[in-house]
Amino acid sequence: MILDLHSHSIVSDDGRAKVENYCQWIRRKELPLDGFVLTEHRLFDVESDYRRLEDEFGFLILKASEVETDYGHVLVFGVNDDLLAALDFARVDLSLAGVLEESRRCGAVAVPCHPGRTRVGMCAHVESRGQVEGVRIVETLNGGSRGNENASALALAQRNDYHRTGGSDSHIVSHIGRCATRFETAIAGMGELMTELEAGRCEAVALENGQWTSQN
Amino acid sequence: MDVAELKEKWTGWTFDEARFEIKSEDLSEFSLACGETVPRYTDAQDPDFQAPPSYTARFHGRRALPKDFPVDMATSFDGGKTVEWKAPIRPGDTVVARSHIHDIFEKTGRSGGMMFVVHRMEFTNQREELVAVVDWKMIQKLA
Repeated sequence: MILDLHSHSIVSDDGRAKVENYCQWIRRKELPLDGFVLTEHRLFDVESDYRRLEDEFGFLILKASEVETDYGHVLVFGVNDDLLAALDFARVDLSLAGVLEESRRCGAVAVPCHPGRTRVGMCAHVESRGQVEGVRIVETLNGGSRGNENASALALAQRNDYHRTGGSDSHIVSHIGRCATRFETAIAGMGELMTELEAGRCEAVALENGQWTSQN
Repeated sequence: MDVAELKEKWTGWTFDEARFEIKSEDLSEFSLACGETVPRYTDAQDPDFQAPPSYTARFHGRRALPKDFPVDMATSFDGGKTVEWKAPIRPGDTVVARSHIHDIFEKTGRSGGMMFVVHRMEFTNQREELVAVVDWKMIQKLA
């Protein structure tokens, strides 16, 4: 099963894609994608209900968040009321250690994203300020990366034996599915997604000429 | 700069009001200049002639920001406009635009920290019907 674990809709301040248009694009382009996760910036979208679109298009559509920390941006899967009470998602100065700890405590999974990116990725921060305990999974394929940013992310993951994910980081419709995460088993919801991520039964993949290519 | 304090102080109140008379020839000229071809936007004789959806983006208030709003123009740039169409604007309408700061928030990107100021203009016609909402984002780089 292949899911794009990093995407933004118009709910994000810089998102230009409606979720329905993502679905239409995937279907029209026949992208080999089983679903996607909406990781809106600095918030958790409590209100939107995408079940009708799931039924209409046959995709899995899940909701998560992308928060901002002192070590860069972090995807948080399994956001719940406890985590929303524990962290102010709107802040841009959360501590990575705090996000990791509170996510663990509240039953969510935190995944630093685009770690190779300047300022908003964790690689440079690790170099200057050292490792942060508790990181187990990082996004090593990001569809918005430039130059060697994904290579830096992969090197970080390999050095530390982190599990790896991929996501398009799409903000516009045509970018959905540029990168994604392949899972060994079928996933029906957020609980199963988190279980597979924590177990490392996943790999980052990129879509090249209509085929998924593993980063390994 | 404390963004939360700025947001508390400056958002949610009207600081400007401007009035615009809608003229048939202006609508046609604007539409044609944008490359519009649909007759209801270009042809004044069309029975459904009206402003194209983005028309209100052309209007400016008397002030861009509230008096004494603390912004450093040297480190700021235009973040673009979003137009939400609500109802037709037609020739002969009088449209009033009321401006307020809708939101102020921070984010981080490759280039560092940024503060976003969302300037909102709400346009109503002579019947007090909301016809358009235009959000203009101004971005200021933070140290």
